[in-house]
Amino acid sequence: MFHIHVPRLAKGFGCSFFLVLGIASQAPAQGPAAAYPPYGSAIPVITNTEHRSGAVGEDTQKMPPPNGPNEESIWNMKVEGFNDNQARPIYQPLIVNQNGREIMYNGNLSGTAMNPLTGVSESNGTSIIDVTNVKRPKFLFHIPGPDPINGSFAAAGAQMVRVCPGSSMPNAAANGIAGKFFLLRAFGNAGANESHQIWDVTEPSAPKFLTTIISGLSNTHKSWWECDTGIAYLVAGSKSDGWQQSGSTQHVYIYDLSNPAKPQFIRQFGLPGQQPTASVATQQPCLNAPSDTCFEGTTNPPGGVHGPISMGTVVNRVYMPYGVGSSGVIQIDDRMKLINGCKATGPGSNPNASPNCQNSPTQADLLWPQVSWVTMNPENGGHSSMPVFNVPIPEAQSNFGDGTPESKSLLFVSSEGTANNCFGQAPHDAWILDIANEQTPWPMATLNVPQFPGNFCGKGARFGAHAVTEQIYPPYYGKIISVSWFNAGVRIWDIRDPKNPKPLAYFIQAPTSNTAASCSTINGVTNCFNATMNDYVEYDDRGFIYAADRAGTGVTILSLTGEARNAILPQSEQ
Amino acid sequence: MRIQMLVYSAGLALCFLGTTAARSEDGWAKVIPPPSVDTISAAKLAKVQPGTSTKTEVQALLGAPWRILQFNDCGMSMPGQADESWDYRGRNAKGTYRVHIEFDDSDVARLVAKIPDRAAGTKGTRAKTAPPDMKVAMKM
Repeated sequence: MFHIHVPRLAKGFGCSFFLVLGIASQAPAQGPAAAYPPYGSAIPVITNTEHRSGAVGEDTQKMPPPNGPNEESIWNMKVEGFNDNQARPIYQPLIVNQNGREIMYNGNLSGTAMNPLTGVSESNGTSIIDVTNVKRPKFLFHIPGPDPINGSFAAAGAQMVRVCPGSSMPNAAANGIAGKFFLLRAFGNAGANESHQIWDVTEPSAPKFLTTIISGLSNTHKSWWECDTGIAYLVAGSKSDGWQQSGSTQHVYIYDLSNPAKPQFIRQFGLPGQQPTASVATQQPCLNAPSDTCFEGTTNPPGGVHGPISMGTVVNRVYMPYGVGSSGVIQIDDRMKLINGCKATGPGSNPNASPNCQNSPTQADLLWPQVSWVTMNPENGGHSSMPVFNVPIPEAQSNFGDGTPESKSLLFVSSEGTANNCFGQAPHDAWILDIANEQTPWPMATLNVPQFPGNFCGKGARFGAHAVTEQIYPPYYGKIISVSWFNAGVRIWDIRDPKNPKPLAYFIQAPTSNTAASCSTINGVTNCFNATMNDYVEYDDRGFIYAADRAGTGVTILSLTGEARNAILPQSEQ
Repeated sequence: MRIQMLVYSAGLALCFLGTTAARSEDGWAKVIPPPSVDTISAAKLAKVQPGTSTKTEVQALLGAPWRILQFNDCGMSMPGQADESWDYRGRNAKGTYRVHIEFDDSDVARLVAKIPDRAAGTKGTRAKTAPPDMKVAMKM
């Protein structure tokens, strides 16, 4: 593990452009994605390939309307492959290069379906699919999820997956994990045994249970695992520890999983106002009534965290979205202070940490790592917060300031649409925040999919933003961004001129006989629809794009074509 | 014998035509071969009553479901969406369909719908639901 202490990235990341240039060249050459978070801590360098006038004035209305609701719709993309995922509804796909084999791990929503490999109906858990040949994905194994409790399936299932190679961990040889691969997954949402688990998936067709990191949880959700340090940010609530949240009831448990068989607890963490000792009955907003017991955001206590994203040891920042679909807060934290803030000595330590900092921190303990926070419009929540560093601003490549070409670090934030047929909710979008000055994140642009054309509020299922892609594939990094948009499918924008993001490609999967019905009651009348819901869109390290369906229709493997392909090429090749 | 051959040939041709039509007209081309479907007794299905039928009763009437889904995540109950739904597959003269039953958190059916597999559109398929006063009692 190497630590490069970046003094402070508050100076607009301007200097870090050159810093990462150097670091990228030091990146370990274990595979195309191995250098970047979560596998490593390097950040790809983005070169400007946009005309100096950027996308201003370009026709953004030429996006073709989608086909009818029974049909697939596709623009600037090509379908390369498909797997039905045993008709299980997918929450999160993750594609990992395991010694040249491309393995897809799908975290599934709760329920049950037949596993044709075993002939048994199994609780939805983790699907493992070999996608090395995208034309012929091969379903290898299904690790069952939580059993029903008193005859009912609780929410969540085993939605979340992360996979790390043991070889990238500190002390891999001493811990006997070199050459192995490990899967971290959430397990359950209610009942006695809900937990976070680790499995040995070195041989993905024969995964072996390794250990339970922590059990007795509630509402497990989306975790992050730094593969080069072993630090994991696990998301869950607890039945007994007193943490307080509104809506989605999760906070963060930080562990050192560098030796996956022997998890080491570090601390719990959340937003000020969520700590067990918060005075929920009397506390006021920190914004206009700062005190030792106030709450950040617009709801008391603040909504739970959805999924932290750490950018590793070099950037030294963790991005945390709270609230999911309403009353959102986006928090930027100093990674070292977050990990070591309950210690009295060492990098990031806090000499004034309270005695109970690890499990029942004070507000001061929670504020120690906080760099800044942004309160969202209460209609929207923080679902995803994915940074992209040093994106060149086309119009500012000359003449501004001292003439140095300007780049901006950006944070892509999404809220989650939660209502079928839009009924009862505000529109949920995604946004680009300028985080060049971390203390004052500032909105730069909105990523929006209009309900027309397509009549997305009338075709059934959810319509609205969900998740921003988290995998770093360098040719796409800083050039395009993908957001899952439920019944409006995979949506991709050209962000080479981030002040003027341009819709670039989409894919809407057709419903099939596996598509789960979505029903809604509007003005007293209940109707059910067949509509797919793209839940997550992710990349592999070859550039294939995976569109996972929440409604049980499977996962479609895509590539970019036409103008979308051009957007990722150097200017000379466009 | 010749009649038998004719019947087989016609059947094969119809299958082929059906497949071709599906591939050329819409996005159903990537559907894996239709799974086996069961005959669902209309009389038994009619006995599944939103607001009163329990999971146990539904299973006694219709058997084990083909698939169970629970769409909620984050520990949040999404407004107007089911806690748990059961899907059955069926076939009738008009084609294949699914019976979709949603249960509330008391394991009582709150919605029953018979949805043709190819019914996508902006009108949807009308579902049978519990009377409004029962919905209140079910904390909808």
